[in-house]
Order: sequence, then structure tokens, then C-alpha cells
Amino acid sequence: MSAADTRSSLLALAVVALAGIAAFAWASSGFRVVTSETARRLAVAAEPLEIDDARLIGPGTPLHELRRELAADGRVALVDFIYTRCTTLCTTLGNEYQQLQREIAAQAVSDRVRLLSISFDPRHDTPEALAAYARRLRADSAVWRFATIDDASQLTHTLETFGIVVIDDEMGGYVHNAAIHVVTPDGRLHRIRDLGQWRQALADALALGAAS
Amino acid sequence: MTRPNQQAAFGLLLLLAALLPGLRQWLEADMARHMLLQFPLLVAAGGLLASSLPAHMRRAFAHCNAHGLTGLLLAMLVLALWMVPRALDEAVRSTAIDAIKAASLLTAGAALRLSWAPAGPVVQAFFLGSWAWMNATVGTLYLQSPLRLCNAYLSSDQNQAGRGLVVIALAGVAWWLSRPEVRWFLFSDQRRQPATNIDIAPDRL
Repeated sequence: MSAADTRSSLLALAVVALAGIAAFAWASSGFRVVTSETARRLAVAAEPLEIDDARLIGPGTPLHELRRELAADGRVALVDFIYTRCTTLCTTLGNEYQQLQREIAAQAVSDRVRLLSISFDPRHDTPEALAAYARRLRADSAVWRFATIDDASQLTHTLETFGIVVIDDEMGGYVHNAAIHVVTPDGRLHRIRDLGQWRQALADALALGAAS
Repeated sequence: MTRPNQQAAFGLLLLLAALLPGLRQWLEADMARHMLLQFPLLVAAGGLLASSLPAHMRRAFAHCNAHGLTGLLLAMLVLALWMVPRALDEAVRSTAIDAIKAASLLTAGAALRLSWAPAGPVVQAFFLGSWAWMNATVGTLYLQSPLRLCNAYLSSDQNQAGRGLVVIALAGVAWWLSRPEVRWFLFSDQRRQPATNIDIAPDRL
């Protein structure tokens, strides 16, 4: 082992170590996260994310395309992604949305905030199935709407933009990351709140509504 | 498995098994298959393919790989990186990142192959120990996390991958301890003679 070899080895070691640090910085969004779920929440909180258009179908008065629907309505929307056969996470989300609906009525802010549940299972969740689901949850259609996106590529794109990953649960259902998404009428996703944080989500929505 | 050509051919075979369309999706659809089957396939393929690297490239690498340190550090960092749940999710989500993952694991395999013998028992023990500790720790984290760490994988997959990582760590340590030259190094009287053993051992590997 010559002195020259030692020098070049030390240099190479430094290069490998730096590349390693850079790679870990990438994977952890600057050493802040280890999961993609936290990463997408941080990214959105740092910079609101533009949502693309998608054709919505659902029960009740006809829905516009997603962007126009948000703009025409003018309220800040709390969006979640569900499928109606779900017996786990979506039930929890459903409960939280019921609580949100009650709280919106109690605070009399139904002119500033709305709820929008989008199903990622259009094959099963037809407008009729969604209507039945809405009745079961006693959703007030003035505050809480249900929809799905029946165009496969638009659905995939929307899920991708929001960062929703839906996988087969090997029992005929799906497993998916569940959260409450705060979306402003200009079609931008500002915040992602965890299950259990519906109060914060409502506060976010009211603050964003007041700011615009 | 002695001739470089045969080794390279076998390496190519493993590479195909890891990345062929259809097979790749099947391997990556399950967290345990992804980490405990596809990763080792790629690392082994890299090691086998390294046998047919031209001599001048091996020499050039050897010049900046004193005691195998550069190569072993590289391999270690690559293996650690793809244990980060976010990195796994990204590899499943994006083909480009999956390609980077495959290339990095191949490189890690080649680096491991070219660095293991020059490293000698002491450096080997250091890296193998760190690797085993890392695998066992991450495996335990996967097992104990109440959260689903990867959006792309089920909790049950995560537990299985965690158990697998712990088992692989233990198997790695057992394998290393069973090597004759390691036993020689640990139990021979020669280890008490200063300085010579480290220089002799690599040639005996």
C-alpha cells in the first residue's frame, strides 16, 4: 500500500461518504422524515400543491369538474379519499367527517367550509352506492358531498397528485393512507391533517377562508 | 463457478430474475420479497458480474480502495439507504428511482466482491458487525412500529420484512463465524504476534 494509494483512498472515502449523505438527505427530505406519508405532508405545508382537473360524478345536484367545482362553490373544502365497502380507516374518517359536520353546524360556518369525500373505487361506488352511503352517515348534502372519478387515468392522476396510495388488502378490499386534505377554492392543496386531527383541519380551513 | 465468464453469465441470470418485467412487479409487490429477495439477487448479480470487469478497472479501483474501505463503505451506505421506508416507497412509485436502486445495489455487490478479501478479518468484522446491527435494528423497528411505514405495503408485509431482516442479520454473523480463516484469526496463537496477521490473512482468503 503506497502513500499515493492511501491518499487516493482517503479521497475516495470522502466522496463516497458525501454521496451517502446526499442520498440520505434525498430519502429523508433533508433528514426530517423517514416515511412518504410525512414527506407529502411536509411538502404541502411548505408549498401548496396545485390540483389538476378531473370529472366528478356523484349523487345529488350535478357536480362540476373538480377545479370548477371547488371554484364555483367558493368554500374551502376538506377532502378525503374513501371507498364505501371499507370497514376500517374509512369508518374512522366517516366518524370524523360526521363530527366535522356537527361542528360546522355548531359554529355556523357552513358558508365557509365544506366536506368532500371522493371514492377511489368507482366500479363499486356508483352514484347510487354513494347516495346510500351518504344516507347511512346522515350527511347533509349542503355541507357534505360524495363523488367519485370514473375515468381511470384521471382517477390515477388525482390520487398521485394528492399522494394517495391504494393497495390491495388481499381480502377483496383496499388499504390506503387516510388523511384530511384542506383544499382552497383556487384548487390548491394547503394542508394534510392526520386522522384524529379534524379540529385542526377545520381551523386550517377557516383560517385559509378568512385569508383569501 | 470458477471461470469469470461463467460467473458473469450467472450474474446476468440473477439480474434478469430481479428485473424482468412481471418478475420485477411480483418481487416489489411485497415488502419482504422486495427487500429479502430482490435486493440480494441484485447484490449477488453485481458481485458475479464484477468478475468480468477488465483488469485495468479493477486496478484503478484497488488504488483508491485501501483495505477495501471505500468499497465496503459504499456497499454499506447503499444497503442502508434502501431500508428507509420513503426510499422503498419511491422505488415502487417511480421507475426511474427503481432503476437507480437497481444500479446502486449492483454497484454495492461489485464493490463488496472487490473489497472483501483486501479488507482482512478486522475490517471485515467491523463492516459485518455494523451491517448485522443495522439489519437487526431496522428489522425490529419494522416489527414494532404500530404505523404502516410504507404507503405501498401492508402492515403484515412490514412485519414479515422485519422478521426477515433480523434472521438475515443473525445468519450473516453465523456465516462469518463459520469461515475457516475467521476461526484461524480468532483462535490461532498467531494473532498474538503483532502486525503480521492482518497482512497475511487477505492472501489466505
